[in-house]
Amino acid sequence: MIINENKLISEIEHLQSNFSLVTQKLIKDVKRQDKIMARSDKRQKEEYDALEAQLNEIKSLQDEIVQTQIEIIFTMGAVGESRSKETGNHVKRVAAYSKALALHYGLSPEEAERLKEASPMHDIGKIGIPDAILNKPGKLTFDEYEVMKTHAQLGYDMLKYSERPLLKAAATVAHEHHEKYDGSGYPRGLKGEDIHIFGRITALADVFDALGSDRVYKKAWDDERLLDLFREQQGLHFDPKLIDIFLNNLDEFYDIRSQFTDKFKE
Amino acid sequence: MDTLSIEATKYTPDIDLNTNGTISFIGKSYPENTFEFYAPVISWMEEFLSESSTDKITINFDISYFNSSSSKLFFDLFDLLEANNDKSNISISWIYDEENESAEEAGEDFMEDFENLNIQLVKR
Repeated sequence: MIINENKLISEIEHLQSNFSLVTQKLIKDVKRQDKIMARSDKRQKEEYDALEAQLNEIKSLQDEIVQTQIEIIFTMGAVGESRSKETGNHVKRVAAYSKALALHYGLSPEEAERLKEASPMHDIGKIGIPDAILNKPGKLTFDEYEVMKTHAQLGYDMLKYSERPLLKAAATVAHEHHEKYDGSGYPRGLKGEDIHIFGRITALADVFDALGSDRVYKKAWDDERLLDLFREQQGLHFDPKLIDIFLNNLDEFYDIRSQFTDKFKE
Repeated sequence: MDTLSIEATKYTPDIDLNTNGTISFIGKSYPENTFEFYAPVISWMEEFLSESSTDKITINFDISYFNSSSSKLFFDLFDLLEANNDKSNISISWIYDEENESAEEAGEDFMEDFENLNIQLVKR
């Protein structure tokens, strides 16, 4: 006797076959997605590595540009100094004093660094002063001194066209480092805080170095005489706030001076 | 049905779907919404493959850069072509630049997955 096959079985078999097709398709899709993902991960890594390498290259080029600017400024300053009796160390000391004063005064580390880097240009205008005056042994006549004084304006005129922050700072320093707090300086006779802080700082740093370090042509002032002068000139030649900073941190300035000592043959 | 041409943009390739059976994808493919962008392309292909009496279909893929959604989409397109492989003579060229490793690998993936399709890798 033939038993009629349960209809359910054929239905289940049909389902089984359909299910198998669907699972095969799903497995194929999942494998494909995995492959796409793996390829994409690999490429993403390569692209990111390439980007990072390019970014590093740009950063190092940017650093190169900044360093080149700093070196050019330092070299131009040294060129200026080489015509006069000053030494390269004068430039380095004034830069270091200026940065220290700037930080104590409360300027940002970036501004202090910019002043330090611009500072070597403060006397660049002296390249426009005739040798006979610049390196004259002995005292200058009134007229000669008037010519000498033009170096501040000359330096500013050389640098004033630049839009670079560093060269703008250098222009300010060149222009204003002979201004005096009481308005008796040159070239413009600016007074008090009308003189840019970079100018006020460089004025103090420059005089401290000019009087406080040995030169080929003269010995340094002894420190007591020097400090007396700064106390006397507080609020006259120099910004009183900067004199306070200077007197309260003398050791730091002496340290800088001893780091860049010039050795002269006796 | 009409020929469909889509001009290239910064993120999408130049696409030419010609009813004479010449089809090409040229450029870069990383649209913001890949599936939306390719939807008309897929419908055109579906319609063309079911209606067309053209016995020869030539497809050029010349895609220099593509995102993973585009890659998925190309697989779907190849699925569609494979399903119609016996109706027409389909010839596919996957064109890539020698130094473009990911384009070359993608071409190899397609060849591996679609053994029945006539796919040529064309190095430029």
